Amino acid sequence: MRLFFLAALLFPLLGQTEPATVIRATELKQSPATDAQTVAQLPENTAVEALDRQGGWTHVKAASGEGWVKLLALRYGGPGSAKKGDSGIAQVFNVARTGSSGTQVTTGVRGLDEEKLANAQPNPGELEKLEKYAVARPAAAGFAAKGKLAAHPVDYPK
Amino acid sequence: MTRTALLLALLVAAPVQAQFKLPDLNINKLVDTAKNVVKATREIDENEEIAIGRDVAARLLGAAPLMNDLRVQRYVNSVGRWLASQSERPDLPWRFGVMDAPQLNAFAVPGGTIFITRGLLEKMHSEAELAGVLSHEIVHVVRKHHLKAIQKGALAHLSADAAGAALSSVNSEARNKLVSFGTEMYSRGLDKGDEFEADRLGVVIAARGGYDTYGLPAVLQTLQGMNAKDSAVALMFKTHPAPGERLDTLAAKMQPVLDSYSSQPQLRERFASETKTAR
Repeated sequence: MRLFFLAALLFPLLGQTEPATVIRATELKQSPATDAQTVAQLPENTAVEALDRQGGWTHVKAASGEGWVKLLALRYGGPGSAKKGDSGIAQVFNVARTGSSGTQVTTGVRGLDEEKLANAQPNPGELEKLEKYAVARPAAAGFAAKGKLAAHPVDYPK
Repeated sequence: MTRTALLLALLVAAPVQAQFKLPDLNINKLVDTAKNVVKATREIDENEEIAIGRDVAARLLGAAPLMNDLRVQRYVNSVGRWLASQSERPDLPWRFGVMDAPQLNAFAVPGGTIFITRGLLEKMHSEAELAGVLSHEIVHVVRKHHLKAIQKGALAHLSADAAGAALSSVNSEARNKLVSFGTEMYSRGLDKGDEFEADRLGVVIAARGGYDTYGLPAVLQTLQGMNAKDSAVALMFKTHPAPGERLDTLAAKMQPVLDSYSSQPQLRERFASETKTAR
């Protein structure tokens, strides 16, 4: 919780708007549907602010208006601009856990990195907990029904 | 005469028996080796797969423990078990775990164990996004991507003899090496083709489970917006094709499936309330 708060402080934009770029010429639609009215034609590399998502559509604000574009036509980050730096999540975690300055981040970060994987020893206690958390197939079906999830056959692509 | 013959027979027979004794032992060993070579190259059966997977899972949990949060663990297990029930291996002992690590990653272990990190869960916005990631990992298990890579590695790095023993016997030096190799594989990554396949078929599993199919593309888009040099994604980016490339591939091959099921539930609210203690 505290970690999330710290991360949120560092990234006030998290979960709100994100700078994004349209990677190919695409239509800005009034609502998230192919047959919706077209607000504007966005040329390739148009910079937009991405808001929320609905199905295959992302709600965006562009200079030429607000509307919806195909999610797959959109990439986060400004056109040609340098990407954001280290999110600092790992560092924040380190500071919060150890109370240290976090200056030894390259070696002192807790969590899962290559070195941890290379040196890992079996942890049978955690494996036992994993067993305890398991959910049986019928219980999972009940859980799905509560969420109004309906199973149906879909073939793999050829 | 009879006595002499008997004595002679004994004298002759003794060395003959001794001569046969040594090759006899060697033959046994040769048969064992041959059996192990067959074991190392044949398809590993489900019980062996599950046993190897348990050993690898225990190692991974040695690298990062589970989050101590019953509600979140049960929630992720419910979503995962439902999706696994839509796969071609619905009756494996499926286990899902949220690892207490800030890095963004997910792992599929042979036999039906799947891990996702707290760091990745924190970046998600809906149950459909969680379902997209879990479905991708479920495909790795269903198609035995890691198991095949472990077996291939065992044959390349151990003698055929030791590889066979490692695959079938639980407590041996060779088994230990095999499990170490299997764990390190999560630092090296699978073939790109396996990852693309898990993306494509994962979208289908999510669709079968009734979820909005854009969950996985949405997570890939979030990842694509992060810097590959960010320490939180360094390992995942090293072991997977670039998210932009994965999105392009999905757009090229999966657009019809994606669009046919994109209006299925996302379950944003349930995701928010069930994971709030973890976020």
